Amino acid sequence: MNAPLGNSGRSPRQQFELSIGCVPLRLQMSDTQLFGAASARYAAFSDAAAQPITIALNDGAVLEGAPAEFSYEFEGAALRAFSSGIRFDGVRNQYALDSLLRVLLSWKLLGRCGFLLHAATIVRNGKAYIFTGRSGAGKSTVASLSPEGSVLTDEISLLRREDGVWRAYGTPFWGEFRAAGSNTSAPVAGIFRLLQAAENRVTALRTGAILRTLLPNVLFFSAEAEANRRLLEILSEAATEIPCYELAFRKNSTFWEVLPA
Amino acid sequence: MIPPAGVFWQKNPALAWREIDDETIIISPNDSVMHELNDTGRFLWKNIDGRKSAAELAQLLVENYEVTPEIALYDTQALLEEMSSRKLVVTVPATGGVSL
Repeated sequence: MNAPLGNSGRSPRQQFELSIGCVPLRLQMSDTQLFGAASARYAAFSDAAAQPITIALNDGAVLEGAPAEFSYEFEGAALRAFSSGIRFDGVRNQYALDSLLRVLLSWKLLGRCGFLLHAATIVRNGKAYIFTGRSGAGKSTVASLSPEGSVLTDEISLLRREDGVWRAYGTPFWGEFRAAGSNTSAPVAGIFRLLQAAENRVTALRTGAILRTLLPNVLFFSAEAEANRRLLEILSEAATEIPCYELAFRKNSTFWEVLPA
Repeated sequence: MIPPAGVFWQKNPALAWREIDDETIIISPNDSVMHELNDTGRFLWKNIDGRKSAAELAQLLVENYEVTPEIALYDTQALLEEMSSRKLVVTVPATGGVSL
């Protein structure tokens, strides 16, 4: 959605509405170049949902007196969340915007029983298989070995518990594919901690091991204790309810043969 | 450095922690570091409540593990010192404040 807005005293603002993991967002900005880049980058996630979270980019207005509920700064760009709305300031390019969107989502998902995970997600037979691990473990390899159209994301997966069911969503955040993920979701079949090996082998993990697998791969940026406690609650629920395995795999598509259905 | 006798130990209130599947996992939000505890560490962690001294915690170890009072006190002080260095626990002075 692209619509000019009134903004007395400054350049007219335009807005773009999108939805990531069913979290509706409305980006408002006056920088036409940035607007064009953002519109193109998030085109697959364009969505006009009710009651979006409004984000004012580089608004220039004086900050409110009330302290921000949440704030984060990254390479000169700053996110500040107020009860009245979200401010992104110092955003000079689409990469800074992308970074702040990840930070904002990681925080907003706390209230929606969800989290962002460094993981590739592949949909197979209607279910989401989530492959996580440290950098170089094989997330992009798994994605590249999967059929075209089955990759929800090769970089950052979004997981949410909805009506008692964990679902994985694609995100527009790029990995090595250099392409946005798919704006769809599927119920989670399992989470797989990747380990490249000579033979394919899958081993079930205990709940504590699952939590230890998830924590280093979760995107989270709040240093506030209560937010971290809530994150730990959500991850504990995920670790208890989602089957999780270590997947030792060869760098070819035969690993699917050992995965549980 | 072990604090003087008479101080109590409590969990650092700035932490997030969870017991799951017989494991205790602790997160330090300020540096996003994840900590895990061994068996004795988990036992102490469960009993650190801001109302017990190192000696009292050591006595609980004696009552629950086959260990002499001397070894229990040595282990307890060593673990408290280690946890304190990681800012997982803090001492509560007689005045009721928290010492980091």
